[in-house]
Amino acid sequence: MSKRILVIEDHEDNRRILRDLLTSAGYEPLEAVTGEEGVALAETHRPDLILMDIQLPGLDGYEATRRIKANPALRHIPIIAVTSYALSGDEVKAKAAGCDAYVTKPFSPRALLAKVREFLPQG
Amino acid sequence: MSHELRTPLNAILGYTELILDNIYGEVGEKVRDVLGRLEKSGRHLLALINDVLDLSKIEAGQLTLALAEYSMADVVQTVVTAVEALAAEKHLALKVAVAPDLPLGRGDERRIGQVLLNLVGNAIKFTEVGEVRVEVSASDGAFRVAVADTGPGIAPEDQAKIFEEFQQVDSSSTRKKGGTGLGLSIAKRIVEMHRGRIWVESSPGKGSTFCFTLPVRVE
Repeated sequence: MSKRILVIEDHEDNRRILRDLLTSAGYEPLEAVTGEEGVALAETHRPDLILMDIQLPGLDGYEATRRIKANPALRHIPIIAVTSYALSGDEVKAKAAGCDAYVTKPFSPRALLAKVREFLPQG
Repeated sequence: MSHELRTPLNAILGYTELILDNIYGEVGEKVRDVLGRLEKSGRHLLALINDVLDLSKIEAGQLTLALAEYSMADVVQTVVTAVEALAAEKHLALKVAVAPDLPLGRGDERRIGQVLLNLVGNAIKFTEVGEVRVEVSASDGAFRVAVADTGPGIAPEDQAKIFEEFQQVDSSSTRKKGGTGLGLSIAKRIVEMHRGRIWVESSPGKGSTFCFTLPVRVE
């Protein structure tokens, strides 16, 4: 069974890029557009990894990460934060919120896939 | 505003990379060549946007330093790792001499890295033969960083100008070398925000050495 990756990202093109990238690498992407939806999907679907955009409307990526990591049933799921270059200090905040790794935007799909493989070597 | 400008460009660069990686099917040589150009122009535009945004933030007084403790040796290492491949591609020797036992610094590590990356990147860009040397020392409560190259050198009358916006010595080189013409003026402002100094020592035909000093601890 292929590994499931939950993509929480509000921007449509970024979602599509991640979907195409992950599918082609043999992973099964799940998608959420908001932080609230992402936390709900994590609870119902128990993905193997989460790609978390930080700048989300409403519940942002930090808070969504904190909620997921506060749930003992979900705590083990690695979360890779996708942070913006513009805001220095993002990485520190992402780690503090419980993210296991981060990539900065603009992310290169190639580099992002390499990061995913550090946690999930195989789709 | 930065998010709005970068997001569509991220999409362009992201899709381009996926196509180049044959995610949407095998790509022929001709298309691959054009996509490579598209990617290069996209990256150039991204660099311009980043620099213009940085500069406008600095000018509006909105750029604040994120002060924290940092290791200057780590900053140097990160920058060197980032440019190693570029230097190797041009067969340039990249030499690093960091004084042992540098004191722990306090400043905006990311911004200081940005300054050093700019200087080392420029040195590699403008040097065709020889070496680029990075030297770091500390004395009297200040770090001193020097980036020396064996490039063409800079005439005395141009040496002050290059720290101004959009002033490369040869304007055609901006395009050819892929720079934005803003890097040094941003570097100067970041160094000055740390209450440091930046300057160049050079003569045509003898290479250039860009130096900056930073207080070890910026409060």
